[in-house]
Amino acid sequence: MTAKTLVNSKLVCVALNDKAQLAALEGTFNEAPYKKPPTQPVLYYKPRNTWSVDGAEVEWAKDFDGNDVAEMVVGASLGVVIGKETCRVSAEDALDYVGGYTIVSDFSLPEASYYRPDIKGKCLDTSAPVGPEIVAADKITDLNALTVTVSVNGEQKSRLALADLERGVAELISIISRIMTLQAGEIIAVGFAGDRVAVVKGDKVEASIEGVGTLTNTLGGA
Amino acid sequence: MRHARIVFDGRELDIDIDANDRITTSEGEVLDVALDSDQITWLPPVKAPGTIFALGINYADHATELAFEPPKEPLIFIKHANTLTGHKQVSYRPDGIEYQHYECELVAVIGKTGKNIKREDALDYVAGYTVCNDFAIRDYLENYYRPNLRVKSRDSLLPMGPWIVDTADIPNANALKLTTTVNGKLTQDGSTKDMIFDVPFVIEYLSKVMTLNPGDMICTGTPHGIVDCQPGDTIVCSIEDVCALETRMVSEQEYYGDKY
Repeated sequence: MTAKTLVNSKLVCVALNDKAQLAALEGTFNEAPYKKPPTQPVLYYKPRNTWSVDGAEVEWAKDFDGNDVAEMVVGASLGVVIGKETCRVSAEDALDYVGGYTIVSDFSLPEASYYRPDIKGKCLDTSAPVGPEIVAADKITDLNALTVTVSVNGEQKSRLALADLERGVAELISIISRIMTLQAGEIIAVGFAGDRVAVVKGDKVEASIEGVGTLTNTLGGA
Repeated sequence: MRHARIVFDGRELDIDIDANDRITTSEGEVLDVALDSDQITWLPPVKAPGTIFALGINYADHATELAFEPPKEPLIFIKHANTLTGHKQVSYRPDGIEYQHYECELVAVIGKTGKNIKREDALDYVAGYTVCNDFAIRDYLENYYRPNLRVKSRDSLLPMGPWIVDTADIPNANALKLTTTVNGKLTQDGSTKDMIFDVPFVIEYLSKVMTLNPGDMICTGTPHGIVDCQPGDTIVCSIEDVCALETRMVSEQEYYGDKY
């Protein structure tokens, strides 16, 4: 946890929210251990030890024997910053509770299964940079016009239009606020491109959304 | 020594409780009130709650109860402070569900920052132990990051307390009687000796992945003996030498009031 993190108390991420990814995995999700596709948003937390900032180095992860892991991947999402206490709100009213927007990068180990919570893959120290800043909600007029891109060493590797999310921002806020009361400063990462981007030690990763900014981080271990 | 957070006489207080149940505030004031007095409102005992780690199917008999093979490595999920409530407070049952059960668990509260902590040093990082009730709603289980947040991240469904007992006062956390009663009837009767992965193991495991910080908590799972709980039920989760945690169930409407 860094002192300057933009996150207050909670960072909720939404997995499997890329329509194309869900369609591609439909066959898999009808088999064991999943048995049927998800009926609800698939959520996970990046806990406080993961929170980091724009410009920071992301630690290269170690395996359980203390050796550097072979592979890491990254995805990026629009970060919806809650503006005030949000409890059981409707999708119609949900955007009134947004204080602003930012970008969340999620560095992790490659994910082979979605069956169990992925503590080993997702809870790595410094693996959730958030930034570069929080843009006021009224500066973003059309969420569906936004596109999240990820570039590595200057080359674009991933692109996801928010219009291609299975569930949009307002619907997600409504659903999550019926599970947990959200507080000002808590952030929801609403969706990542299904194909996470492979990175190596020393890579410079830029996650960008036009109008929100560019979040830049470098992999450590080089 | 035991440590808790209470509201008493309109003041939010950090208190120490000695072996004679004498209550002293962090300012050194002795409170003239009995521990079981209704004048005390119990808050969750960890003052600055960090990441809450909870173990699933960590007792072999409970794994059998749920038709699972005992796991080869710990199943750990994360919760946050929105789920916490204190002793003698309420937890809610969502509308329209079939099966919500308590889970009486020993909790280790982290007291010191650490990474790559060895098993044999692990208890140096534990400030103390308390009890939680890690409620689950089986209707909401889906096979994605199971147990999913809809099951395990709801407001009020992690009562904890009433207090934290210093680590030094519990010489063996792996031999404590663990019981739950519902409306006074014994429904769960186990022992922490049947835990598959104990606190030192879990601290070593987690700290290989991440830094643990003061205020983080590890909820260690529950043994055999879970039953459905309804609004109006009073549930008491007890662990020998640690504490007994009482919770009253209410409906979703009663819990959320104007926000319902």
